Amino acid sequence: MVCIGIKDETISFLIGGEAGQGIMRSGSLLGKALMRGGLHIFGVNDYPSLIRGGHNFYILRASEREVYSQGDGVDLLIALNDESVELHINDLYPGGGVIYDEEGKLDPRELRDDVKPYPTPLTGIVKEIGGPRVVRNTVALGAALSLIGFNPETMRGVIRDTFRGRESVIEMNIKALDRGYEYAERNFEGLGCRVEASKRRDGRIMVTGNEAIALGAIGAGCRFYAAYPMTPATPILHYLAAHDEEAGMVVVQPESEIAAINMVIGAAYAGVRAMTATSGGGFCLMTEALGLAAMTETPIVVVINQRPGPSTGMATYTSQGDLLFTIHASQGEFPRVVVAPGDVDECFYLTMEAFNLAERFQIPVIILADKYLAESHRSTRPFDPSRVGIDRGDLLTEWSGDEEYRRYRLTESGISPRIIPGIEGATMLANTNEHDEYGFATTNPEMVKAMMDKRFRKLEALRREIEHLNPVRIYGSEEAEATIVGWGSTKGPALEALRMLEDEGIKARFIQVVYLEPFPDERVEGLLSGDEPKLLVEMNKTGQLGSLIKLHTGITLEHRLLRYDGRPVNPGQICDAIRGVMR
Amino acid sequence: MSVKPLSYYRERYIRFQPSPFCPGCGNGIILNCFVRAVDELGIPQKQILCVSGIGCSAWIPSPNFRGDTLHTTHGRAIAFATGAKVYNPDLYTVVFTGDGDGAGIGGNHLIHAARRNIDITVILVNNLSYAMTGGQIAPTTLHGLRTTTSPYGNPEHPFDLVKLVAAAGATYVARWTTYHVVELTRSIKEALQHRGFSFIEVLSQCPTQQRRLFGFRDPMRRLPSRILEMFAESTYIRNRPQRENYLYALPRGEPNEAFKAIEDALKGLEASARLVDHITYGRVVRVDSEDLEAVSERLRNLSAVERLVDALEGKIELGVFVREHRPEFTESLRTLIERAGGM
Repeated sequence: MVCIGIKDETISFLIGGEAGQGIMRSGSLLGKALMRGGLHIFGVNDYPSLIRGGHNFYILRASEREVYSQGDGVDLLIALNDESVELHINDLYPGGGVIYDEEGKLDPRELRDDVKPYPTPLTGIVKEIGGPRVVRNTVALGAALSLIGFNPETMRGVIRDTFRGRESVIEMNIKALDRGYEYAERNFEGLGCRVEASKRRDGRIMVTGNEAIALGAIGAGCRFYAAYPMTPATPILHYLAAHDEEAGMVVVQPESEIAAINMVIGAAYAGVRAMTATSGGGFCLMTEALGLAAMTETPIVVVINQRPGPSTGMATYTSQGDLLFTIHASQGEFPRVVVAPGDVDECFYLTMEAFNLAERFQIPVIILADKYLAESHRSTRPFDPSRVGIDRGDLLTEWSGDEEYRRYRLTESGISPRIIPGIEGATMLANTNEHDEYGFATTNPEMVKAMMDKRFRKLEALRREIEHLNPVRIYGSEEAEATIVGWGSTKGPALEALRMLEDEGIKARFIQVVYLEPFPDERVEGLLSGDEPKLLVEMNKTGQLGSLIKLHTGITLEHRLLRYDGRPVNPGQICDAIRGVMR
Repeated sequence: MSVKPLSYYRERYIRFQPSPFCPGCGNGIILNCFVRAVDELGIPQKQILCVSGIGCSAWIPSPNFRGDTLHTTHGRAIAFATGAKVYNPDLYTVVFTGDGDGAGIGGNHLIHAARRNIDITVILVNNLSYAMTGGQIAPTTLHGLRTTTSPYGNPEHPFDLVKLVAAAGATYVARWTTYHVVELTRSIKEALQHRGFSFIEVLSQCPTQQRRLFGFRDPMRRLPSRILEMFAESTYIRNRPQRENYLYALPRGEPNEAFKAIEDALKGLEASARLVDHITYGRVVRVDSEDLEAVSERLRNLSAVERLVDALEGKIELGVFVREHRPEFTESLRTLIERAGGM
């Protein structure tokens, strides 16, 4: 297997066009083909929140080594319309190429001098083979595969699997692929990039963060999922609605986020694992019920896929602007967990952990992701649910009846054994009013204090538990000359940056804070006590992780790379910033 | 209805061309009806405030309508409009909302505004799904329809929004479809002139999402007219004499084959059969005849026919359902304030 790009051992494609031209589909076909050819892949999409149209693009990056994010440029631009050339010509590395439809109005002389033009009769070929206009994308993919010397047979297999059962569609796409491939082979010189498939197949899967979270919920034995459509969390709802039977899950789409989370609390009260997912605006509506879950000590899992705010903001772009909101949402004080996965594997395994923590400590657990992580594709090894397992905590399925059941029994750990309602001899009183051990409302000052203390006693055990879950993860050199600090989806670009810095001879490390509440303050403080320059990387305006670190450790991270235009941070930006702080 | 060229309306009332909507969307028709109604009433544009929430329908006024617009959060448009209207009752305050926005997440605001009888006009575009976010179930999606969140069929039942809003206390309530543009325009005029809470539900075509919803396999350009024809076929206007000299045969199995069998069975009778789309029953065979009894006789036991359905069975009723008067909210407020010695 060989993979040589223009700049390094990765190869990047940018497929651009108008919505409806099959941009996302092309990206995922190409990704699957390269993955089956033995490569690791990463794919990120970009589309505006319009009812229709608008410019869409998909960047796919592949390599023999792991790829964690998009790169800083691309090797090959696949432009399904002229606008894509205008918008992305400067994303190409010098020596890169652009495939475009020769029927467009584009003048190749207006392209960059250091870019190779590949005018291809995308429309012409589609007309010849009598296909619908949308298969222009497959013609272009054929040409692209030829330019990088990749055997098209793998792609034919992907097409057959993707459109299984729709023979005419398969036939048309394979024809389009082959014609595009042949045309490029006959007319173009290769790109100077080369990808050869290997025979070795190690059974990798290509998933998005959303799919990984949905699979994590299935793996954790979640039995109830209610969610209201909200970009970028809706794909979880689609996925689970389509797989509810295999998953043994009831999936409900109610009238609002308020209904969704209250249904989830109801299901959890009734004794099953339950989850909802939304974005910041939907979570605003859920905050009241978050407190209900806390007060009634009902275990729930809430997924928040952040997008830029305030208010409607930009529905289809990414952000990390809801960290402090999530940690503080809802009135009153109560323990909660906020955990932020940084890649698809963490999406799966942390979702499984989230259910265990929720049930063992009878608290709400929030999984904080973002659009960039939720909708980007990555190849990885198949998930293994047994690595986390299922621990439902102190859940009683029968009651001896020797004494009266007390739902909120004051225990040393603060955890009161939970029963499932309907069990002989025990009644389960859940109460959103402050209550006594039985669940009856109370305003008695001693009881009120005792209950608050009981709920917060759980926090101590929770902190100890989270210590075992590797809440702060460190990547890169142990004796680092510079440290990158971040959370969530900036992990990908940060890991790529570490590689680039290493190539330059700079030893750097990346500290990823995974569990943000309860905050692993001692760990973070220990890790940040060195003298090397440190760079905070976040996708928000105010550096919210920086605020948390300051709050919990007193350490101020002065150097900040903050991106808040809705686009993910690029590895090269991080490298530039690191070079800047080392000067 | 006066006839003016489209360019007249476009130049006067429309801020952006082309519209942000998918080809064949019903929203353009509704915007068209709205500006014609405004024009015919001669209401100055500066006296109109359009409020909308989130969803495709929210984009009808914002940014298209050349006037003041308030583009708000999901489901809350009516609450914002209430605030604006109470403070400035001289504004014609019009809310454009969708079935998800207005009847789903914002359903509570809808019924309470109707109960208050506040003088705002709500035009609710019902495309039977959450279209903008990818075609999920809405509170108006018919039972059994397939959406992205009900891939095996909708287990829920839809609201009858006209009944809901009428029961909540609205004083002008109407329902039309994007097929009924003349009636819709007239209704918008009535609603704008009505003193009190006026509500118009507009059943609208969404080729992008209803393709899945109704299982239509045609190319996109064929869909808008096919859906509009289905609206015409599946509705009737209340208090109007109805033709009843036809029935529907619901096919058992493949509709085209059932159609052939039905045509064969009807040979010799004065009857014409054709395949049509019915919103409740799907692809069905409509048989027109002056002798329906003879038709029934022939088709009743035909193996290609599941059952026979009367002309009006399963159809959606259109028209003006409520037109009454009771004290309007902002006026009542003003009376109270005056009595209290304020303002």
